[in-house]
Amino acid sequence: MRTIPHALCLSGTEAYNHTPEKQFLMIGERANVAGSPRFAKLVREGNLEAAVEIARQQVANGANVLDICFDDGLIDGKAMMARYLDLLQGEPDVAKVPIMVDSSKWDILEEGLKHLQGKGIVNSISLKEGEEGFKEQARHIMTYGAAVVVMAFDEQGQAASYDEKIRICGRAYRILVDEVGFNPDDIIFDPNILTVATGIEEHDNYALDFINATRWIKENLPGAKVSGGVSNISFSFRGNNVVREAMHSAFLYHAGKAGMDMGIVNAGMLEVYDEIPKELLDHVEDVLLNRRPDATERLLELAERYKGQGGKKIEEDLSWREDPVEKRLEHALLKGIDKFIEEDTAEALEKYGRPLKVIEGPLMDGMGVVGDLFGAGKMFLPQVVKSARVMKKAVAWLEPHMAAEKAANPSQRSAGKFLIATVKGDVHDIGKNIVGVVLACNGFEVTDMGVMVPCDKILDKAAEIGADVIGLSGLITPSLDEMVHVAKEMEKRGMKQPLLIGGATTSAAHTAIKIAEHYSGPVVHVLDASRSVPVTTSLLSDHRETFITDNRAKQHKLRENHNTGPKKETLTLEQARAAGPACDWESYLPPVPSFLGTTKATVPLRELADYIDWTPFFHAWELRGVWDRENKVLKTRNPQGAEEAAKLHQEALAWIDRIISENRFEARGIFGFFPANRDGDDIIVWTDESRTTERCRFHTLRQQIRKDSGKPNMALSDWVGEKNTDYIGGFVVGIHGAHEFAGELEKQHDPYGSIMVKALADRFAEAFAELLHHRARIEWGYETSDELTKDQLIHENYRGIRPAPGYPAQPDHTEKPVLFELLGASGATGVTLTESCAMHPGAAVCGLYFSHPGSHYFAISDLQKDQIEDYARRKGMSVAEVEKWLGPWLGYNP
Amino acid sequence: MPQHDPTQELKHAMAGRILVLDGAMGTTIRSYGLAEADARGDRFKDCDKDLLNNGDILSLTQPDVIADIHRRFYQAGSDICETNTFSATSIAQSEFFLEDPREKGGRKDPGFFQQVIENGFLNELAWEMNVESARLCRKMAEEAAEKTGRQRYVAGAIGPLTVSLTNSPDANDPGFRVVTFDQVLEAYKLQVRALIEGGCDILMIETIFDSLNAKAAAVAVQEVYREQHIQLPVILSAAVGRGGETMISAQKIEAFWNAFAHVKPLAIGLNCSLGPDLMRPHLEELAECATTFISCYPNAGLPNPLAPTGFDLEPQHMAEFMAGFADDGLLNLAGGCCGNTPEHIAAIAKAVEGKKPREVPTVA
Repeated sequence: MRTIPHALCLSGTEAYNHTPEKQFLMIGERANVAGSPRFAKLVREGNLEAAVEIARQQVANGANVLDICFDDGLIDGKAMMARYLDLLQGEPDVAKVPIMVDSSKWDILEEGLKHLQGKGIVNSISLKEGEEGFKEQARHIMTYGAAVVVMAFDEQGQAASYDEKIRICGRAYRILVDEVGFNPDDIIFDPNILTVATGIEEHDNYALDFINATRWIKENLPGAKVSGGVSNISFSFRGNNVVREAMHSAFLYHAGKAGMDMGIVNAGMLEVYDEIPKELLDHVEDVLLNRRPDATERLLELAERYKGQGGKKIEEDLSWREDPVEKRLEHALLKGIDKFIEEDTAEALEKYGRPLKVIEGPLMDGMGVVGDLFGAGKMFLPQVVKSARVMKKAVAWLEPHMAAEKAANPSQRSAGKFLIATVKGDVHDIGKNIVGVVLACNGFEVTDMGVMVPCDKILDKAAEIGADVIGLSGLITPSLDEMVHVAKEMEKRGMKQPLLIGGATTSAAHTAIKIAEHYSGPVVHVLDASRSVPVTTSLLSDHRETFITDNRAKQHKLRENHNTGPKKETLTLEQARAAGPACDWESYLPPVPSFLGTTKATVPLRELADYIDWTPFFHAWELRGVWDRENKVLKTRNPQGAEEAAKLHQEALAWIDRIISENRFEARGIFGFFPANRDGDDIIVWTDESRTTERCRFHTLRQQIRKDSGKPNMALSDWVGEKNTDYIGGFVVGIHGAHEFAGELEKQHDPYGSIMVKALADRFAEAFAELLHHRARIEWGYETSDELTKDQLIHENYRGIRPAPGYPAQPDHTEKPVLFELLGASGATGVTLTESCAMHPGAAVCGLYFSHPGSHYFAISDLQKDQIEDYARRKGMSVAEVEKWLGPWLGYNP
Repeated sequence: MPQHDPTQELKHAMAGRILVLDGAMGTTIRSYGLAEADARGDRFKDCDKDLLNNGDILSLTQPDVIADIHRRFYQAGSDICETNTFSATSIAQSEFFLEDPREKGGRKDPGFFQQVIENGFLNELAWEMNVESARLCRKMAEEAAEKTGRQRYVAGAIGPLTVSLTNSPDANDPGFRVVTFDQVLEAYKLQVRALIEGGCDILMIETIFDSLNAKAAAVAVQEVYREQHIQLPVILSAAVGRGGETMISAQKIEAFWNAFAHVKPLAIGLNCSLGPDLMRPHLEELAECATTFISCYPNAGLPNPLAPTGFDLEPQHMAEFMAGFADDGLLNLAGGCCGNTPEHIAAIAKAVEGKKPREVPTVA
């Protein structure tokens, strides 16, 4: 029978299950009038909008649960609790987390429960007024469905000593579990964190009493959790934040080890345990753990020295500059600080004597830490790339010193030699560059051959440098064929080294079915940059055989599934055409564009920046989630990821400023409208309104999957009328200058900047396409200029579509030359097409415009032989040629 | 006499087989071709507003039709039928019997709804609708049990209301609510008491669009149980959109389960809003986390004004989907919502017959 582990299960609009392996439940405590003077002020002034913003920030900063408290003499706590919780419900970003309703007044807690749709926490109840009231309150909470915080308090008062704490908690637990029937997983004890170092001897053991009581509760009261208000502990050191922060951290460290699950703690009032100065930590722990009778006096004495310091809020902490050079290098690499890297590298060279020793010693050690943290999900890609930048600068500084060294010692040690390239015909390289950087961070010697590299050059280079692994990247579909070609050539040359396949259109299935078969060496699909390191490491390790066997087995399975798996039911082309959409063309009057022919467009970058859709930008950096424009946060499951994204966004904005002020990019575009009519699955473009002479013809493909839902089988031609006065539009936009700027940055050893610039160029191109489409719709006469907000534009809440050849609705890239020719695009925009029909520069977008109100995006797949034959005939191409271009979309084996 | 608590026998039955719920009351009513005058009967002939869409009133004005529908569902194989009480609360009935303050420039707010829950006519009407509906269904259940020798059950249907506790209708004031939790709680408590009075075996809080409304209903059920010293099984069922969130309050599946696990429902599930195909991933998610039985009664596909039932899927389609759910171990209770006629239920009953019910996971 399936079992589900015990956990404290909570919810807002999303679930939060605090399972034992989760370390510490973060309670946001800023929306608490008792704890936050700023929040109290906003509430008293009635500025609830700003008060809601405080809640939002805490969620953005990773709070798992939000504590809400209005216990203040000047506030109507009950009414405010109701109103505030109702307001939070209207904020999707906040409403997702569970709420902790916090009050010392029962009627406020009760009111709070009436405004939570999810399962929250009631903070708190106790035995203070006796058993009957306690049970009644617990039953009430259970009826509404919430967890509960129980204070270690009874008829005699607050539990201070260890014995009192465990006696009261034990008693409360038995009443709740045995008599009330409360779920033990939903019970949270607060055994009172009381102030130490007060000068009163009885208080000396308070911290230890709490820690020991915590351990007892976790061992003796199954399911129960422990929480507490941490800042109480350091109350005697008010005004001395350095000491307070150290006390909070050290206390949490010890209480956490004893099993404390959560705490009310101001994250801004916490030092990192490992970073508390040793002397201070010793003194603090003497007090907390009651290790010597004079501990308080000694800490008070030491505290004098820290008085008036702002604690961790000091702007730039340069204390790490005091560390030995190895530590400094590690710190610089971890934090991505390049300010001192040259002087530190010089010092290290002096100490180690030889440049190679510096690289293999402290620098690689530091990068090892970075690699480990990245592997463990504790660092994010943008941070790693910044580390790589620091590393590159250090190595660059050492390089002149190494020339002699190299001559003397040609067999340089590295984790392995990795050759990477974007294949012939393809210009996309952001993902490839990231893989290169990440591998270099992990000690691999990476040779990056750039983009559009022909097969022979790749393989010759591999032989020349003795590459241990070859990696191929590509974004557009024709690149898949080129990868197959490279695999075949490797086999012909009798090569043996592993071949890695990556890039947006590649897949594990395609790699297994189409590529691996042609090469007897290992062929591995790599999903993203973070996977590249473990894969490459495995391939070069002693366990390589196991890994390779595994990989082969997986690929074998994929091939089998492909061959034997359920086939989708398809229609013949004739049937599919019959199942096309039924539009009422009779009564439809197509909108008429304000001009016919083409118009060039140049747009200031500043204007384009407003149209940027950031979500794909973060995806390029492997930060998954959805960007919330309004609040400038990445909505993601991973709070640290959101934090990193916020930083990355700030930096991206700074780069945009620089790009604009230095005139780095140029945006060039063209768009146009033409009289057009449908002819079967083709679209005829006429020379003029007389509609007698054909200027050119777009060919479209029709869906052939049988649809149960009665939905039509679409082709793009369905959105153009057959007999009426319909029109079609087209556009090409490109961003020039990214390649050159990125090259310059690479020369300055700044891979971070280089990737950033290219990623931004891609976003500008998409933004340009979006803006131009907006203009085109206005020119076409069916949208007014201020009808839609930018948000609506980005979410494509408008009439009409702009599908691009090579994308799901028309996957055939060879339709691009037709479009380019029609618009005279290459001359007008400087965007050209490679032999694989990739656009150059890579930051470019093209597409057709359709204005029909019913038009929408759809996807072509499982094309059948009858359509391919028909299509080849219409296009004047051979069937084999069409099959080559449409390989991944064929529903049969050619 | 206090009601018999059928929890144990239901649990026992559900461990052995997939039980069958009924289909759509509204869809089936429409097939009887009733007119406005039929809905009003003699009793409500002078009512200011149209009552044809007030399906619950038919329990009073056309009891034979409602009884016939129950009879047909039980005949089709339903183990459990729901009473015709989806909107039988003072709050929901106020839409049909009180003047809308918005027509005179006012607005609906807690002041208005306070009058509603204190309105003697509405309270008596709600009481009568629930008691009579429960009795009608009870009678048909007993008739079917007698004929077939198989125990049948009556579930008191508690619907979602036409007001929301989580959403503000006022764009300028997101903190505004038209109604208070206590008012909703009062209205539901009256409904719960009446359903019990009429002889329900089970209470079913269903088509949950808004989890806070549902929470009020759940509190009402528990409080009435406590005051009457009884315990009857509860079934909860949410109506989620394509993304798997409750339609109005946007609560996700697992969050919904976490919020209602404390009710210890006999079953928790999904109904309405989606057809079985679109419901599937959300049902899987619920089956993954819920440590109780799972119920599922989807719409018969998407609305299709051209189809006779107004919905896409025919009996055999629904049967195929539900059989698939059963085969994948997702089901303990199967039925249909909008668009499902007695013919649909017969096909579903046949399709899940003999299939192994989902095994309930335990917390360990």
